[in-house]
Amino acid sequence: MPSLETTFCGLRLPSPFVNGSGTLDALVSGTLGVSAFVTKTVTLNPREGNPPPRIAETPAGMVNSIGLANPGLDRFCEDDLPRLAELGVPIVASVGGWSPGEYATAVARIAAHPAVVAIELNVSCPNVESGCISIGTDPRETRALVERCRAEANVPVLAKLSPSVTEIEAIATAAAEGGADGLVLINTLRGIAIDRATLRPLLGGGGGGLSGPAVKPVALHAVFHAYAATGLPIVGMGGVSSGADASEFLAAGATLVGIGTALFRDPGVVERAALELADELGRRGASGPEDLVAAAHPPTSTSSRA
Amino acid sequence: MLPPSRSLAVRAVEACGAYTLLRLARDGADAGVPGQFFMLRADPAPADAYLPRPISAAWADDDELAFLLDIRGPGTRALAAAGTVDVLGPLGRGFELAPGPALLVGGGIGAAILPWLVRILPDARVLLGFRSEAHAVCAGLVHPQATVVVEPGLVTEPLARLLPGFEGTVYACGPDAMLGAVAALAAEHGVACQLAMEAAMACGFGACHGCAVKIDGRWKRLCVEGPVVEASRAVA
Repeated sequence: MPSLETTFCGLRLPSPFVNGSGTLDALVSGTLGVSAFVTKTVTLNPREGNPPPRIAETPAGMVNSIGLANPGLDRFCEDDLPRLAELGVPIVASVGGWSPGEYATAVARIAAHPAVVAIELNVSCPNVESGCISIGTDPRETRALVERCRAEANVPVLAKLSPSVTEIEAIATAAAEGGADGLVLINTLRGIAIDRATLRPLLGGGGGGLSGPAVKPVALHAVFHAYAATGLPIVGMGGVSSGADASEFLAAGATLVGIGTALFRDPGVVERAALELADELGRRGASGPEDLVAAAHPPTSTSSRA
Repeated sequence: MLPPSRSLAVRAVEACGAYTLLRLARDGADAGVPGQFFMLRADPAPADAYLPRPISAAWADDDELAFLLDIRGPGTRALAAAGTVDVLGPLGRGFELAPGPALLVGGGIGAAILPWLVRILPDARVLLGFRSEAHAVCAGLVHPQATVVVEPGLVTEPLARLLPGFEGTVYACGPDAMLGAVAALAAEHGVACQLAMEAAMACGFGACHGCAVKIDGRWKRLCVEGPVVEASRAVA
């Protein structure tokens, strides 16, 4: 069976499968087969998160409004990071904030930890009133933020982008110009669930973010065009729950594949998808997942930076 | 760190008044303790029920795991029609049984987790509240001598009569309003009280942060902190 080993931003990983930020608490459940663990987004100050209800099931997916619940930078660095470092997998730390200064402070401190192999800048959370997603929908702000954080980090910096923008190419290009080493897409789509009994918004935070199989074509579209525009290494995610889904993301231009909502449904999904992907690579006669990366693109559309 | 996910065969699906009893072949699966819960998903699951459902066992025999369902939507409907159910669990923290007398209080589908507790605490006094006679049919599964109250009566009425001088532990499961009233009465009489709480969950194992409940005055994950919580922590 072919090896699933993959190189991403200079990191050699045993498989292309990681978790989506905020969809796995490795300190509670273990790492469930991911090759690198992506943390829940950390902000400078602790956040309790939004009032419940926080989740609503929708056809082939769910809408969530968690609201970046996290222990804050101090406790994350003092309590969580040392325990995460003992799990034996590389750590990708996801960072959020309300100003470039907040992001930069968190990035500088977290990136200094030896277990952290990359930083994900979450500029796309739909569940907070400002900051985050408002940065990630503006190319100028995205570029400036990435530039500032890049200067603070001695590890690769990835920009996690929202699909809820008019042109993903513009934001992806701005992140690349700011010095992003890679992209992560997609975050959830903005969505809302209405309570059928009361006819009021169901979630405590009002709106939320849609995820699950329902978003996969949107995610593939974003990965495809971000790759075509930048050639940057991409962590592709959105509705992945099988090896076949993963191969579609690789073909669209992703190098790593994130699994998120499917983990909620089945904690064995990463291990199963890895077996399925290895099987598929074998059937195709591929030597590894990298053989499939950008297969959906005509040879001329990829840039030399891939 | 996580229990294995099991695929268990459905032995029987039986109407129980307004509720439905789902009996699974246990097949050696770990049953945990009363008050813990399982994530149940029909296999195959319909497209409109993507996520599993968190449900505590009504009882566990050597060869059977039983769940009482309140069929409200596509997830529970699919469970009642399934031939096989994917079961992840036991999850969370169950009841911590204390020595001394026990008072079990159940409201609505919250009564579903009490039959197992009654098997372990056969001398417990049982109080159950339901919104209709059809819902109250399931009281027979819990205890033949249970005190049953049907709306507009409230289960807290007999509880208020029993608590003065009661030296033991109250174990309660039911809707939030009932749990709040039970906790307040227990606190008033200085009686220890454990609440089995409910929240919508996507995962059941701490990943999604969807099941936020106020515990110790803060939003916390019920699947990790509970679902059984010391009453004083839940109403703090």
